[in-house]
Amino acid sequence: MNRKSADIVVIGGGVVGCATAFELARLGCKNVVLVERNTIASGSTGRCGAGVRQQFGTELNCVLAREAVRIFEHMDEYLDYEPGVEFRQSGYLMLAYSDQQWEQFQRNVELERSLDIDVKMLTPEGAREIVPFLDLEGMVGATFCQTDGHANPFHTAFAYAQAAKRLGAEILTHTSVMDIEVENNKIQAVVTDKGRIATSAVVNCAGAYSAKIAKMAGIDLPVWGERHQILITEPVEAMMGPMVISFHHDFYCQQTPHGSFIMGIGMPGEPKSFNIRSSVDFLEGMANTVMKILPPLGNLRVVRQWAGLYDMSPDAQPILGECPPIEGFYNANGFSGHGFMVSPIVGQAMAELIILGKSSVDISKLDAGRFERGELVFEPAVVG
Amino acid sequence: MRQAETTRTVNLLKEVDVAVIGAGPAGLAAALACAEAGVSTLLIDANDAPGGQLVKQTHKFFGSERQHAGTRGIQIPSLFTEKLANYPNVEIMWNTNASGFYDSGELVLEDEKRFMKILPKRMIVAAGASERFLIFRNNDLPGVYGAGAVQTLMNVYGVVPGDRVMMIGSGNIGLIVSYQLIQAGVDVAAVVEAAPCIGGYLVHAAKLRRAGVPILTSHTVLAAHGQESVTGATIAEVDKEWQPMPGTEREVECDVICLAVGLMPLVDVLWHAGCEMKYVPELGGHVPVRDENMRTSNPKVYAAGDSGGVEEASSAMVTGEIAGISAAKSLGHQAPGADARLAQLKADLAAIRSGPTGEKISAGVRCATVCGGVWE
Repeated sequence: MNRKSADIVVIGGGVVGCATAFELARLGCKNVVLVERNTIASGSTGRCGAGVRQQFGTELNCVLAREAVRIFEHMDEYLDYEPGVEFRQSGYLMLAYSDQQWEQFQRNVELERSLDIDVKMLTPEGAREIVPFLDLEGMVGATFCQTDGHANPFHTAFAYAQAAKRLGAEILTHTSVMDIEVENNKIQAVVTDKGRIATSAVVNCAGAYSAKIAKMAGIDLPVWGERHQILITEPVEAMMGPMVISFHHDFYCQQTPHGSFIMGIGMPGEPKSFNIRSSVDFLEGMANTVMKILPPLGNLRVVRQWAGLYDMSPDAQPILGECPPIEGFYNANGFSGHGFMVSPIVGQAMAELIILGKSSVDISKLDAGRFERGELVFEPAVVG
Repeated sequence: MRQAETTRTVNLLKEVDVAVIGAGPAGLAAALACAEAGVSTLLIDANDAPGGQLVKQTHKFFGSERQHAGTRGIQIPSLFTEKLANYPNVEIMWNTNASGFYDSGELVLEDEKRFMKILPKRMIVAAGASERFLIFRNNDLPGVYGAGAVQTLMNVYGVVPGDRVMMIGSGNIGLIVSYQLIQAGVDVAAVVEAAPCIGGYLVHAAKLRRAGVPILTSHTVLAAHGQESVTGATIAEVDKEWQPMPGTEREVECDVICLAVGLMPLVDVLWHAGCEMKYVPELGGHVPVRDENMRTSNPKVYAAGDSGGVEEASSAMVTGEIAGISAAKSLGHQAPGADARLAQLKADLAAIRSGPTGEKISAGVRCATVCGGVWE
């Protein structure tokens, strides 16, 4: 490795790390290094469900998602990415199966509308106008946001990585972080298996492995890995526009622009782990659930299943910002299953915070200190 | 799309001693060895008949009589199935895909109607290989075929692929299929080979030359031409770095471009099973690390035939039988004389891989064999 020093080292080549590196370079930081132990998008980014939604239960998540969508809408031009990130606003249809859940949805919609996110409340029959083959049994109501949608996680990460490189950032793949040197609570260097990089700032975008990175700097970070599984079917003609989500069944399903149906379901009792092996229980559980709610999908062949890790935090909210007492150690992790969709705004906010000292979207409530202060903000809308 | 009524989920958790995936030469030999050892055996194949690639191998086999030398490939499957029919401990499932193997030990099978889970004590993966493709302009035009597909079309279904074929690749498959095309009355425009010399046996190449077919070494295909289907191709000479040399391009009139550029082992189920894999170019790609008995790093899983590395049908029958005897033996079952037979098979395999043409395979096998030949 030629490089001996950097102004900032971003750890992790997922979409959050790539977006952060790009935004840092865009704000004029010329000496940004991103370190990735495998390849770009090889971890949770490339394994995610690819959905982008703004329907959340907390103001902060709604605002982050709304701002992210505004960036996604112009991302190909913003990043000058010729292949395109395949952003498509075909909506999210969220299904409620109990009165209690419906009340929560109504509160969410009120919040979302107050934040300029256009969400419709639908009867079960109204939901069927959007997805004609939807099974309505037990359904109480649904909400629909047309500006939610889908983007290609690989292209999004590649677009950010390439744009970052053009602005002078260096991207080191196949490079593992082995240690972080700290002196007098100040970051001194990042030690990799390819050499030492002297630096005074680190952004921890290591996803489910963020606690391991934090530990190197002597920080206990409450982030852990939790396996979540996905399957994808053979491609067929376009027949379903929106992502369909049910918190009751803990599942989501969307037809990709390519025509394949991609879907995931939460498996009860999934332990904290770094396990990304596939299970047959998931295959069966997923198939049985989706065939009940979207019956025609029973005709499709499954072509592949895989697993990835949610980087879970205690309140299922991201951990963003500097991490006292270590000066220069920043977190952008703990996304708990919705990191991809907010990555564009997270990259911007992190870069602004690091370079300008303040971000235009207020993310101060999402610092790591909230767990000690007991100021957890539970997100009621997490799935899959 | 298929009708929903016919798609049912039936979960049988059936226990079996040995599941053999693939009923080609390796899988048939493996299943017969298991049958003879007396273990309950389930043989699974995606097709509706046995043989795998043997179904189109109309030529007579070389080598030793124990590997059916002198017999045509197409005659071999029935020799196995006739014997297998005598064993009540063997069950065969046709038209069935082995679509996944999980950490829980469950092997998932599916056909048009059913989804099944099997709990095998041992699994022998004899899934064969798939054809490699080549990148050139318009390579998705109708008329661009794999050599295996052309062979199936002609030798199984009696259909010729076109009137004038350009063959890409001069390995044994490229040479044999070219000759079979001529026998079927199809014109072969040329055999194009990127290497400076032919890859297959001289005896096959000589037949083609006698028939007047040019064999263009140090040449490659740059583009296919045509609107609805192939009407011609551009080829060019390549330099020592395999790069096309400007100015050497020329047009070849043909309605079929046949790709015989090698095979890749089908190893998906071995990846699922967590077997230690190694990239061995001499064996066609990623292959499982194995011991002399074809056992992988997963003690329950064996590989046989092309799934363990691309060779040919004779060695596939040998590795299949080795895997079958060994898998049964690991369960405490063996037929009388099995140890002697195992030693004989290993000697046969060494003989098949001897000589100049076997050097590459032998180097690959050495590379893919676990240190010391046995697992710790």
